[in-house]
Amino acid sequence: MKSRLEKDEYLEALWCMQEDGKTSMADMKCELEKDLDSEALDMLVDEDMAKFSADKSGIALTEKGAAHARRIIRAHRLAERLMYDAMGMGMDFEKGACEFEHIISDVLVNSICIMLGHPKECPHGLPIPPGDCCINSVTTIESAVTPLSDMKIGQSARIAYMNCGEDHEMHRLNGLQIRPGSTIKLHQTYPSFVVECEGSNIAIDEEIAHHICVWQLGATKAPSHTVEVEAPKKQGILNKLFKK
Amino acid sequence: MSQSCHDSTLSGSPSSGRKILIIGPPNSGKSQIFSNLTGEYTLIANYPFSTISIKQAPCSIPDGACEMFDTPGIYSLFIQSEEGAAVRDMIFSGKVDVLLQCIDATRLKQSLALTAELLELGIPMVIALNAVDESARKGLWIDAEKLSRILGVPVVESIAVKGVGTNRLKKAIEKAKPPKQTVRFGDMLENAVSSIEPLFPEVVRYKRKMALLMLLTDSYIEGYLEKITEKNVLAQITDTVNDIVQKFRGNPARLIRYTYSQWVDNTFNEITKKQMASENKFSENAARLCRSPLSGSLILIAILITTYLLVVHVANSFADIMKILFWSPVEEWLNASIDSSFWKDFLTGKYGVLNLGVASALLTVLPILSVFFILYSILEDVGYIPNLSVLSKRVFNKIGLSGETILPMVLGFGCKTMATLTAKTIMSQKERYIAIFLIAFAIPCAPQIGLSMSVLGKFGITAFVISFSILLAVEVVTGLILNKMIREDRKSLFVQMLPPIRMPNLKNIWRKTYNRLYEFLIEAFPIFIFAALALFTLDRFGVLEKVKIFLSPLVTGFLGLPLDMVEALILVMATRSLSVVVISDLAEKGQLDIVQCIIAVTLTTMFFPCFANIGSITKQLGVKRTGIIVFAITASSLLIAGGTNWVLRLIFKL
Repeated sequence: MKSRLEKDEYLEALWCMQEDGKTSMADMKCELEKDLDSEALDMLVDEDMAKFSADKSGIALTEKGAAHARRIIRAHRLAERLMYDAMGMGMDFEKGACEFEHIISDVLVNSICIMLGHPKECPHGLPIPPGDCCINSVTTIESAVTPLSDMKIGQSARIAYMNCGEDHEMHRLNGLQIRPGSTIKLHQTYPSFVVECEGSNIAIDEEIAHHICVWQLGATKAPSHTVEVEAPKKQGILNKLFKK
Repeated sequence: MSQSCHDSTLSGSPSSGRKILIIGPPNSGKSQIFSNLTGEYTLIANYPFSTISIKQAPCSIPDGACEMFDTPGIYSLFIQSEEGAAVRDMIFSGKVDVLLQCIDATRLKQSLALTAELLELGIPMVIALNAVDESARKGLWIDAEKLSRILGVPVVESIAVKGVGTNRLKKAIEKAKPPKQTVRFGDMLENAVSSIEPLFPEVVRYKRKMALLMLLTDSYIEGYLEKITEKNVLAQITDTVNDIVQKFRGNPARLIRYTYSQWVDNTFNEITKKQMASENKFSENAARLCRSPLSGSLILIAILITTYLLVVHVANSFADIMKILFWSPVEEWLNASIDSSFWKDFLTGKYGVLNLGVASALLTVLPILSVFFILYSILEDVGYIPNLSVLSKRVFNKIGLSGETILPMVLGFGCKTMATLTAKTIMSQKERYIAIFLIAFAIPCAPQIGLSMSVLGKFGITAFVISFSILLAVEVVTGLILNKMIREDRKSLFVQMLPPIRMPNLKNIWRKTYNRLYEFLIEAFPIFIFAALALFTLDRFGVLEKVKIFLSPLVTGFLGLPLDMVEALILVMATRSLSVVVISDLAEKGQLDIVQCIIAVTLTTMFFPCFANIGSITKQLGVKRTGIIVFAITASSLLIAGGTNWVLRLIFKL
C-alpha cells in the first residue's frame, strides 16, 4: 500500500459504491475519478478489507473493511456538516473535509456528533452512519445543536439543519421557509407544536419538531442543572426516534 | 370597488385580451386582489386554500380588456398537490401573458421563494406587494422600488383588504415585462441542466424549468410531459436524469433548494430594513389564547354558546315576528278570497307552494341563516377557524388521522362540498378517503348547524348538547372503524400554516354574509318550490300516504318518530334546510318530544349526503366508491338513529 491516505480513499469509494448497490471495477474507477492501482487493491484484499468477485470484475467490502470505511465516512460527513453549519462555509467545504477525516480520532468524531446534535445527513443529503453516541443519544451541556422539540416556549433559534427523512417533507417545509439558516420561534408545544418562521405561524407535528435541529442560543448561560433534570425525559423520546 | 364589466360570460369564451394569472402562496390575498380588479365576488377567507379551483373573470385595464385568473395558492412550482398541478399546467401551456404575483409582505421570504422560481420562466411579470400595512406594523420596512430594480418588473404596494393600490396595479399590468434576473446555480447543477435541456422536444416550453423540476423529482412533471412528448423521448429524458442524479455527488434537490434559499436571503436583506417597532401583540396573544388547550376550549365553548343564544333567541323570535307580520295576513287574505279548496291547498295548505315553498324559505330559514352566517363570516374573517386544527389535533391523532385531514374536516362545518374539494390537498389516499367519508357523514354544515340549533333550542340546551355529542361520537367511532379497515403505510405530515388573527373588517363580513345568503336563495329557493310541488303532487295522488304506510314500521316503530317525519326524510334528499323546517313545524305543533326531536335532527344531519356533496365526492373518488359511501352513510344513519332512540328512551324514561 502506497499510503494510509490512499487506502482510506479506496475504502471510502467502496462504501459509496455499496450505498448505491454497485460492485464493478468500472464503477470504482468512476467513483475515484482515476485509474485503479492493482497493487493497492491486492493489499486491501490481503488485509481482509475487501474481496474480489469470482471473475475479478467486481469488488466489495468485507465486514472488517466495512467497519473501517464506515468510520472514515462518518468522520468525513460529520466534518462536512461541521464546516457547512458551524463555519458557514457554504458549499466550499469539500476540501477541508477530505483532509480532516484522516486525522481525527473516534472520540473527537463523537464529540462533533454530540455537539451537532447527532445529524443524520451530510450537507449533500448522504446518510451519516450513526456512531455509539447516536445510538445512546448522548445529550450533554455541550450540545450546541438541539432538536426544536427541546427548545423552551418563547425561545428563538437559528435552524442548523434538518433531519428530513424524505424529500417531500423537506420541500414542504422549505416552501414555508423552514430551512437551515432561518430563525424559528417556538410558540406552543401542546396539543401541537406551533412555531413562527419568517413571519408566519405554522403548526407542525411533534415528529417534525424532532427533525428540525437548531443552534442553542445562550446555551452556556442556562443553569446546568435544568438541562440535566430534563435530560432523561428527552432521552426517552430521542431513543424511540432513533430506534425507528 | 373598481370599474368592472359584469356583462360578459365566465365560460371560456375566446378571450378578448391578454390573459393575466394571479399567483402566490396560500392566504396571500390573491382572491381579494382578483375581486378588486374584476369586481367579481369570490369567497375570500382568512385561511389557506380557500380557493380550490382556478376562477376566471374579465377585467378592464387602461389599455383594453383582459382576462383575469384567480388560482389556488402554491409555495413553489415544485408541486405536491393536484390543484397546484392545475395552476402549473396553465402556466406551462404558454397561454398566460402576464403573471401577477401576489406577495404577502408579512411573509416576504415565502413569497420571494416563489418569485425566484417564476423568474426562470421569463413570462412578463407584475408584483403586488400586499399587506404592507401589516408588515409595517410588525416593523418590517420593504423597499418596493429596489425590488422592482433588482427584478426588472413593476412592483406595486397594496393593501388589498382595503382596496388600496388597485388602480396602480391596473396601470402596472400594462407595463409588465419579462424579469431581467434569474437564479444561477453552481457549475455542477448548471452542467446537469444544460445536458437535460436539449433533450426536450420543440413543443416543451420553459426547458430550463422543466430540467430543474426533473432534477427535483417532481411527481407531477412526468405526467405533464407524457401528454405532450412521445414515449421514447420521455424515456430517454428520464434515463438521462436518473443517470445524472446517480452520478451526482449528493442530492441535487437539496442543492437546488439551497441556491434558491441563498437568493431569497440575499434579496430579502437588500430590500428590507428591520426597525424596532412594537409588534402586533394583540394578534399574537389572541392567537395563542385560541390555540392553547384550556383557554382555547373555553373560547370554543363561548363561541358555541353565543351562537346558540343568538340563533335560538334572536333569530327565532325574528323569524316569528316576520311570520306574524308578513305571512299571517297573506294567508288569511288568501284563504278568505279563494273559494276553490284545491287552490287553497295548492297555495297555503300543508304542502302549499306559498306556505312550504316561499314562506319557509324567506321567513323561517332566511332569518336564522342570516344570523348564523354573520357569525360564521366573522370567525372566518378573523382567522379563527384554522386555529381549531391545533386544538383538535390530538383528537384527530386518536382516530388515526394525522395532520393534513384536519383543516378540510374543520371546514366541513362551513360547507361540506367545499370541504370535500379541499380534501384534494390530502396526500395520503387512505386519509383522503376517510376525511371525505367523515365530512359527508355526521358533520353538520353551517346552515344545518344554524337551523338545528333553532329547532333543538325549543327543547332547551340539553337537546342541543345531546344531539351534537351524538354526532361527535358517530364521527369518532366511524373514524376509528375506517382507520382499522383501510390499510396504508404512508404517513402524512402535519404542517399547517396558521393565518394571523385580524380585527374583523365590517365591509368584508357584510359582503361575505350577503353573498352567502344570495347564493342560498338562488340555489335553494327553486328547490324549495319544486320540493313543495312534488310533495303536494305525491299527496294528491295518495302516493305519500302509501309511502308512509310502507315506512311506518321503520319510522314509528324502530325510530320512534311521528309518521309525518317521512316528509322530512324525503325532503332531506332535495334540501336539508327544508327538512329542518318540517321538523320545526312538527315541534311547534307539539308532535315531537325531546327524544324525537334529537333523533329527527341527528338523523337528518347524517341521512343521505346532499347532491352537491355527492357531486364533489364523485369528482374525487369516482361513481362506484361514491355509491358505497352514500349507501353506507344512509344505512348506518338509520341504524344509529334507531339505536339512539332506544337508549335515549331508557334514559329519559319515556
